[in-house]
Amino acid sequence: MANKNYLQRNLRSIVLKAAKATLKGVLFYMIYFLVWTIVLAPFASMLPWLQLSVETFMAIYITLMVIGELTSGTIYQYFFGVARSLFVIGYLLLTLQGGLIGMTFENVNLLVDLRLFLMMAMLFSLLGLAKSVLQAINYMSEKSEPPLILTPRDARN
Amino acid sequence: MNVPIRMIGLATTFFWIFLIAFTATVAYSAKDLQFSFGELQVGGDSHNNLVLSLPIGVVNQGYYDIDAFNISTYITDLDGFRITRGSTFTPVIAKGGNITIYHNVTLSIDRLLRHGRNYLLNDTTMNVNESVSMRLANFIPVQASANFSIPWGAPLYNFELGDPTYSPYNLTHFSVVVPISFENHASFDVVGNVQASMYNDADMQTGTGQTTINAAQHSSFNGLLEFYVQMSNVTPTGRFEVNFQTSLFDYGPLVIPYG
Repeated sequence: MANKNYLQRNLRSIVLKAAKATLKGVLFYMIYFLVWTIVLAPFASMLPWLQLSVETFMAIYITLMVIGELTSGTIYQYFFGVARSLFVIGYLLLTLQGGLIGMTFENVNLLVDLRLFLMMAMLFSLLGLAKSVLQAINYMSEKSEPPLILTPRDARN
Repeated sequence: MNVPIRMIGLATTFFWIFLIAFTATVAYSAKDLQFSFGELQVGGDSHNNLVLSLPIGVVNQGYYDIDAFNISTYITDLDGFRITRGSTFTPVIAKGGNITIYHNVTLSIDRLLRHGRNYLLNDTTMNVNESVSMRLANFIPVQASANFSIPWGAPLYNFELGDPTYSPYNLTHFSVVVPISFENHASFDVVGNVQASMYNDADMQTGTGQTTINAAQHSSFNGLLEFYVQMSNVTPTGRFEVNFQTSLFDYGPLVIPYG
């Protein structure tokens, strides 16, 4: 009986996590779709690599986010959080070519300086990275230390 | 520890949303930026320089101001010699603004002719490096540059002095008539004086004549130069030394043999 309850609890938890992960993934994809359609689509004809680049980024980011969500409640959730932040940093650095993007249209050379944007994005990603590390430390400390304040239930036991 | 972590998470999410929204609107604004180029105007200044003025219309229908709008022009000849450079700086183009900027480039024909008389007598081409830079929303600097060639039309293309015609003026002097012709291929009018000195084959100056020239841009000029020479000094061969004084340049002597 206890075993059956445990299984049911586990199954419910997995289904909830999967639903949450799916919801988050769909929400993120919708945001991407909106941003792409409204803002970035007009530039797609000028920058043929843009769509592929953004789609690859979104695919990997959403995958990492879904896996992180599925592993929530374990230490791996934070590993995937760290991986996500590192991926954002690495991907932005690579695709934005260090912040100076050069393009050539027929005879015109266009240079867009995105270093300030890149710097801010790096900063926010590092903040996300720090958050994941702190969460992992917090998780481990909560696991290893007994609660300092006894709840009425703890007192009864 | 949960509360600070949650606050970091909230702050990070807020910053990301702000950054993405801001960058997206800046990119969207760039789409609503319109440039139009008017007809190139050619004029002169008080220092006898040629001033090329290009009106550029900028309509900023985006959400943000445009700062540090700068246009630079760098003109060189085919050998890389710097003919002129000019830049026009506009500190701010406000959002919703519609302004016309006059980009002026000053060209000293005198300086050009000191480099070589080729520009006076022969058509050629010049290399132009045009660069436009601006800062979108005081956040994203953008620069566009292009290299192209422009034709240079010689103001005295195919300048020729015809054979001198001598007719007796009195017992000692000839009246000499020399036809002058050239084509003004330049995009400015040539207005001024031509002075020609005649030298015989013994390097002796025999006479000097002067005439006015007035050739509108892209037109031909035909005129006559008249002066008197002493009969005894005339030789079948010799040379003319021609000097030009116009509103935009002084040049000379241009040596043309005759006979």
